Amino acid sequence: MNRLDYVVLIATILAIPLYGLWRTRGRETLGHYIKGDESIRWATIGLSVLATQAGPITFLSMPGQAYESGIGFVQNYFGQPFALITVCAVFVPIFQRLKIYTAYEYLGQRFDQKTRLLGAFLFLIQRGLAAGITIYAPAIILSALLGWRLNLTIWLAGGLVVAYTAFGGTKIVSITQRYQILIIFVGMALAFIIAVHRLPAGLSFGRALTVAGGMGKLQAVDFSLDPDRRYTFWSGIFGGFFLALSYFGADQSQVQRYLAGGSLTASRFGLLFNAVVKVPMQFLILLLGAMVFLFYQFEEPPIYFNRPAYDRAIALGHGAELNELQAEFDDVFARKRDLLNSSGVNSASRQEILQLDAKARELRDRAKGVLERAGASPKSKDSDYVFITFVLQHLPHGVVGLLIAVILCATMSATAATLNALGSTSAVDFYRPLIRPNAPDHHYVVATELLTIAWGLVAIGVASYASLVENLIETGNILGSIFYGSILGLFLVAFFLRSVRGSAVFFAALLAQCLVLILFWTLSISYLWYNLIGCAAVLVFSLALQRSIFAKSSPA
Amino acid sequence: MKGTDLPSEPDGDSAPLFGSWTKAYCVALGIFGFEIVLFYAFTVIFS
Repeated sequence: MNRLDYVVLIATILAIPLYGLWRTRGRETLGHYIKGDESIRWATIGLSVLATQAGPITFLSMPGQAYESGIGFVQNYFGQPFALITVCAVFVPIFQRLKIYTAYEYLGQRFDQKTRLLGAFLFLIQRGLAAGITIYAPAIILSALLGWRLNLTIWLAGGLVVAYTAFGGTKIVSITQRYQILIIFVGMALAFIIAVHRLPAGLSFGRALTVAGGMGKLQAVDFSLDPDRRYTFWSGIFGGFFLALSYFGADQSQVQRYLAGGSLTASRFGLLFNAVVKVPMQFLILLLGAMVFLFYQFEEPPIYFNRPAYDRAIALGHGAELNELQAEFDDVFARKRDLLNSSGVNSASRQEILQLDAKARELRDRAKGVLERAGASPKSKDSDYVFITFVLQHLPHGVVGLLIAVILCATMSATAATLNALGSTSAVDFYRPLIRPNAPDHHYVVATELLTIAWGLVAIGVASYASLVENLIETGNILGSIFYGSILGLFLVAFFLRSVRGSAVFFAALLAQCLVLILFWTLSISYLWYNLIGCAAVLVFSLALQRSIFAKSSPA
Repeated sequence: MKGTDLPSEPDGDSAPLFGSWTKAYCVALGIFGFEIVLFYAFTVIFS
């Protein structure tokens, strides 16, 4: 990065919060602080919902995912439009009619105070920890590749978000997210155009797609019923629906986005916008990864993208082993490139190209094995370094600064939404009813600001110690899957099992959460299943408890 | 009907541009279905 990159980076990440602070200047009521005002329209809500979900992992890891395994991952999002429409039809009208600040207030009105506190508590634990991971994940990658100090990166990115989120509440989160996601779109579009432009001169875009497809990277839809296949149309529709319903229906960081502004129409249009835009957006990000893969078929990639970890292994005395692997990797790359240049991917050359590609992957795995033996193994997957390595080494100055700004904008937008929700939930569901009821409105605004700052410090603290976590990117998803199922179960019981009362659902959720934690520690199934298990357990346990132990409290 | 109950109809108000929310949901699902067809065609053509 040169001076131009730093100017673009600093100007981008500072200008948006400063504009947001200017737009939200002046004192406000608790309602305005938590739900924004009527000036928040459906387009802002739609972009805000999109930005909250598209954290830094989306832009760092997704292209690397396509580089490794192709674009089939897009199928994981196929259930999302159905979930968003369900939220529009079932969740939003109730939340808007009751004029609640947090989703958990609804649980209090439908059941009782203890169930509301349980739902809010499960959300606070899960999101408080996940916010730290959201800050840590890009910080570890950027600090490793750019030589920035890790703790300084965490404190600068985290501190800036905490400051503007605490000051401006929901309105500033929505305004800044609108511009942050626009910067993200521009940056990713530029990266896509440059990646295609940097392909060999004789390779048209159409032929490039044929080559990438021939190498197995462009299978977007797979209708296979084989359960061993990781990403299929069916697992995406069913598994993706369930995960998205938990996330959009029961996670306050999303609920607060689409309740902003207070209009049912704006909330619904904002969510429907996501139902039609989210899947193509993920497709294009993955396609960018496939273009980066293609670029590295003609320009030699590193055998291991996380260069600092690779250099550490050499310094620890494993240079000879790695040099041997590198020489073999160079040879495989040259043979593959020559084949692609001479004949492309046709029926005669395809098998040999795929064999060479598999050999290159095997050599990368062996290099990773050397790093592990050397004790230089990093805390994130090497594929997370693919896109950022491409950006730093092959994009022009200025665009590099913009793409680093994209990563930091994604970090800030996702973290701001989370801190905003954590502060609001702590104030509305815990502080106001339990500690200081009946205080003036302004008192609660200040309390929410202070609680937002407190959660920001917790997130920065978690990020500072996240190096203790083995696989940090998976950790965020695992945390969500452990807690989301029980929280969604509470809401589904509230909506659809009218006979179940507060005590039955409260103890059912506690039992379900214990069951999920026990299964998590004893089984080795895919973590996505815990969403289904937790939710189903709440539904079954609550019905069983209501009809047995709590039968007397059933309505006549 | 209590405030915490599900609405007896999918919605009480009409959707601007679409007439009803049911129509708006169908349009969104139709667009998504079209996207799936495009992705499938992409898969068939290039894989």
